[in-house]
Amino acid sequence: MTGAGLIAIAAAIAVFTGVGAGVGIGLATGKAVEGIARQPEADGKIRNVMLLGAVLAEATAIYGLVVALVLIFLKM
Amino acid sequence: MDLGKKLVDAMEPHIMFTMNLFGHKIPVSDVVVVMWIIMAVMISLAFIFTRKLTEVPNKKQNVVEIIVEFINNIVKDAIGEHHWKVFAPYLGTIMLFLIFANTISIFNVIPGEGFKLRPPTRNINVTACLALMSMCVVIYAGIRYKKFSGWLKSFVEPIPLMLPFKILDYGIKPLSLALRLFGNTLGAFIVMELIYAVIPPVIPVALSLYFDLFDGILQAYVFMFLTSLYIQEVIE
Repeated sequence: MTGAGLIAIAAAIAVFTGVGAGVGIGLATGKAVEGIARQPEADGKIRNVMLLGAVLAEATAIYGLVVALVLIFLKM
Repeated sequence: MDLGKKLVDAMEPHIMFTMNLFGHKIPVSDVVVVMWIIMAVMISLAFIFTRKLTEVPNKKQNVVEIIVEFINNIVKDAIGEHHWKVFAPYLGTIMLFLIFANTISIFNVIPGEGFKLRPPTRNINVTACLALMSMCVVIYAGIRYKKFSGWLKSFVEPIPLMLPFKILDYGIKPLSLALRLFGNTLGAFIVMELIYAVIPPVIPVALSLYFDLFDGILQAYVFMFLTSLYIQEVIE
């Protein structure tokens, strides 16, 4: 296998972090919907906390994306 | 030109002209020029909208008051009733600038090659600068409301064992702020460029609503929200 092919596979593995972020954001949003359905008056606070959780979960996916971009554009 | 070359060409900053300043040659890229355009637009909008302010708001003033009130409410919720007034102007400016910067590619009306309005936040230097500015504000908040000794003491609270992690915090926070904004904008930008290259008619319009408008405004809000959270954490 050539070097470029290995780098492409490495980039694909790096982007695989998106799976964790997807599960995390899905869980956070689902629980937030449950919370708002139970207590509609607390939606402002719930939205803020949900956003914080979603953003922190998303960070891992972004790191994966950045690593993949570095691999592709700087190493290829 | 094949697709990969086109993408790299769109992602990289191009030197537009060089400035001579005190004998130094400073290359100015299109990222900086786009930021100058955004600044000019924002400053002129601010002048237009805040002329002749009156006690009873007229049409123009209502718009500005809604924006200012929206920002004030977010900051008040995040930082608390006592100290929000100091930080609201900075956080509001950052958010408005980022909204313009992230969504500027929808104003790309002139077809063809050459100069294009592309989001300046796709360059990591811009986002790193913004993140460093936010960290400076966070440190300033800590020193202002806890005094210098109190701020230093916060590194060893509640137990001295936390010291390395607290120091690490000041490196990780700006890193994650910068990389989040950069990764999101660049990801959306690449997807949009690919779509423009593959299916030019109709479909980019619908997807541009999500990738340019929604994602851009959401990331601007998230940047401001996280900065205000870090400030609140420090002055607690």
